Amino acid sequence: MPAFRIAKENLEEGITLFTVQGFLDAHTFEELAKEMSDVFASGVFKLAVDLSGLEYISSAGAGVFIEAIGTAQQNDGDIVLLRPSPSVKEVFDLLGLSQIFTIKESREDAVKSLRVRV
Amino acid sequence: MPKPLRDKLLVSNDTRYLVVVREFIARMLRLSGFTREDGNKIVLAVDEAVTNVMEHGYGRVDAGVIEIEVRSEDGQFLVVIRDSGRVFNPVSTPPVDVRAHLRAGRKKGLGVFLMRKIMDRVDYQLKDGVKNELTLVKYAR
Repeated sequence: MPAFRIAKENLEEGITLFTVQGFLDAHTFEELAKEMSDVFASGVFKLAVDLSGLEYISSAGAGVFIEAIGTAQQNDGDIVLLRPSPSVKEVFDLLGLSQIFTIKESREDAVKSLRVRV
Repeated sequence: MPKPLRDKLLVSNDTRYLVVVREFIARMLRLSGFTREDGNKIVLAVDEAVTNVMEHGYGRVDAGVIEIEVRSEDGQFLVVIRDSGRVFNPVSTPPVDVRAHLRAGRKKGLGVFLMRKIMDRVDYQLKDGVKNELTLVKYAR
């Protein structure tokens, strides 16, 4: 698996899915921050982020989500995380982020959760 | 009980080598008999410490070397991180109130928060000739 890979997909009007794979650390976080910033600049503030292929995250990577959820929510959007692995979920737990982010097990549930957010 | 182990890794000041640091620590933890769960967290704590050296000690542009020494013996896993960058003492930073921090959207200080939360001991020394020396210790449960 490559060290880091991001894919973007429009799930429906106003909702973008990010798929993040590999290692999200101090070396790779800026790439994700830039991609998210570009999506916000296009006027989309509802993001689903599929973490099922993310093998590792450090606080530098978690920082991207901390920063982005503020921007999303200030613009009536949100960030929903999808299927983090146990080791990635543990880092969110250690940082207290599991109480801040909505975590879903399916893309459909993530979209439903984002749709209801007005 | 696993045999005492000792090894050392030198990396350049470049975040691309964080993956090499993590693999080195993970290998030493496996050989030391730590559980995967504890091991993942210790790898994270060391990544945070080395990232701090790269971001605060040397900064993104300075050339420099970081030495990571592991000693595993008598039920403890000890990691010593040495660098010659700017003086940076993570232990002197005040404890972070993570909830308030996150509510404010702040992310600085989370690395030190994780190091303290995961490891049993985090000590810093300013040493002649080396400059920064950070010691992280985890005791086997």
